[in-house]
Amino acid sequence: MSFAVTAAQLSKSYRYSRRGRGWRAAFSSEQVTIEAVAGVDFQIAPGERVAIIGPNGAGKSTTLKMLSGILQPSSGAATVLGLVPWRQRKALAYRIGVVFGQRSQLWGELPARDSFDLLRHVYDQDARVFARRLGEMSERFALGELLDQPVHRMSLGQRMRCEITASLLHGPELLFLDEPTIGLDVTAKAAIRDFIREHARDHGLTVLLTSHDTRDIELVCDRVIVVNQGRIVVDQPTDQLRRRFLGRKIITFQSAGAAVSLDLPGVTRRAGAAHATVLEVDTRVVRVEQVIAAAMADGGIEDVTIEDPPMEEVIHDIYAAAR
Amino acid sequence: MTSTLRRAEARSTLRAAASALRMGFDQTLAGWPVLAGRCLFFGLIMTVLSALWDKVAAEQVAGAIALPPGGVVLYVGATEWITLSLPAVYLRFEDDIRSGGLEIHLLRPKPYLLQTLALGLGGGLARLAALGVTAILLLALSGRAWPPLEGLAFLLVLGPLGLLVGVMLYALAGLAAFWARRTLPFQLIIQKLMFLLGGLFAPVTLYPAALAEVARASPFAAHLYWAGAQVMAPSLMGFLVGAGWQLAWILLLGAACLGLWRLGLAKLLREGTI
Repeated sequence: MSFAVTAAQLSKSYRYSRRGRGWRAAFSSEQVTIEAVAGVDFQIAPGERVAIIGPNGAGKSTTLKMLSGILQPSSGAATVLGLVPWRQRKALAYRIGVVFGQRSQLWGELPARDSFDLLRHVYDQDARVFARRLGEMSERFALGELLDQPVHRMSLGQRMRCEITASLLHGPELLFLDEPTIGLDVTAKAAIRDFIREHARDHGLTVLLTSHDTRDIELVCDRVIVVNQGRIVVDQPTDQLRRRFLGRKIITFQSAGAAVSLDLPGVTRRAGAAHATVLEVDTRVVRVEQVIAAAMADGGIEDVTIEDPPMEEVIHDIYAAAR
Repeated sequence: MTSTLRRAEARSTLRAAASALRMGFDQTLAGWPVLAGRCLFFGLIMTVLSALWDKVAAEQVAGAIALPPGGVVLYVGATEWITLSLPAVYLRFEDDIRSGGLEIHLLRPKPYLLQTLALGLGGGLARLAALGVTAILLLALSGRAWPPLEGLAFLLVLGPLGLLVGVMLYALAGLAAFWARRTLPFQLIIQKLMFLLGGLFAPVTLYPAALAEVARASPFAAHLYWAGAQVMAPSLMGFLVGAGWQLAWILLLGAACLGLWRLGLAKLLREGTI
């Protein structure tokens, strides 16, 4: 079987000079080596949707940079779509799409359509094929009038729809997504996730995603690679991971009076601020709506927020289980 | 790679650069209030400088230094026209390199350096067009003598070439971001040299002979002086010499930009972040 992505003992270490204190330090420094990625091995099949997750500094961004060709590894090997990324970056660029949630690839002053037109030339695309793809995506993503609106006047959700469109217009075989839903509201997140999942399924697109939002991982990816301290801790299907580690929700109730008092199985109280009750809910035992209904029946609730546990906690649980 | 493939690739690279140039042009026009403000500023500067040079002419100082009295105002108009059209490309390089935004550009198949220079040049050309119209209006309102038609024709070639020299000089300052946190000090040095050796406010021929020769051979004169000189005292020979210097400096600065870019890129690919 030929894989879309392979990594074999892929490693990256950085060296920097650390100066000590005092006047002697002006004349001497110590060379420090940091191992950002320490010999990771994995393969990704064509059409697979894989999340690489881990706490900050775990090595996921470094891994993605090496796989996309913008960072040379210290040792090891990797191929992406049969190419060595850091040696054949330009050839690879025609075949991959990239979305960085916190960086725009569109030109702010101009309508998105103008940015798309420039990208058509950048990727040497036939005008008719390009127009057909834009038409399809425009319909699927309800871009419509957005296409002729200056990008800087768009909401974050609208801009992200255009960013994803821009990354797919040249028909890539593999899509790198780095925090694609960061900062978006619930509706916009759902639209982005649905689109990526369906587009990938319909076009056989391989997806490599990093995110701190566990819903991105659950709803888009069918496999999760967890990295920590430069090493792969867990590599398993999302279903399996969900059953074991993604079954928790954090519900915060704001109340004018006393703290909410609940005695339900699968619900544990966490430390909260004044007038705020923070509950950790095991959704395998009790449903979120049951918890909210019970709290509302108690009265005095002014506001409710539902969140995923921080990724650091999920990783911690996974890491603890792996040991 | 065969020569046919190489030619096809070069053509596609140039097409993408032309598209970026058009994008830069459109983007600058889209920000028309800023452009209008720049045109007003051009008018203000020319009001002050023309008053200064009229006084110089009235006191016959210009005659003593062998410059045509009304010509110096036209010269300064041309050099200011180019200076005010110059886009701050160094800031774009600094921002992309220092913020990590460069990564997304490196994941595209066309060269970032060429695309960014084309984008900047496109913006500069939009300004040249808007400020050019302003200059014609100012000249018509001032009632001054128009420059010879051949001088204007030469200016239409030397002006954009001078702009390109300036874009490349600023690109060198911007590429310093691979090694320096801020590029402003480099830009300031280049800008002051443009003013001094480029002859922003007066032709470099006013300098002592040896210094004038050095200035005329510098990239800063290729940026400003040669275009200004042709509108003041046009001649085919002067035009050809000026265009020759400009083209030579465009090639040299292009090579310098490419060299600096390759060094910086190698550092980025090795170290991951700047």
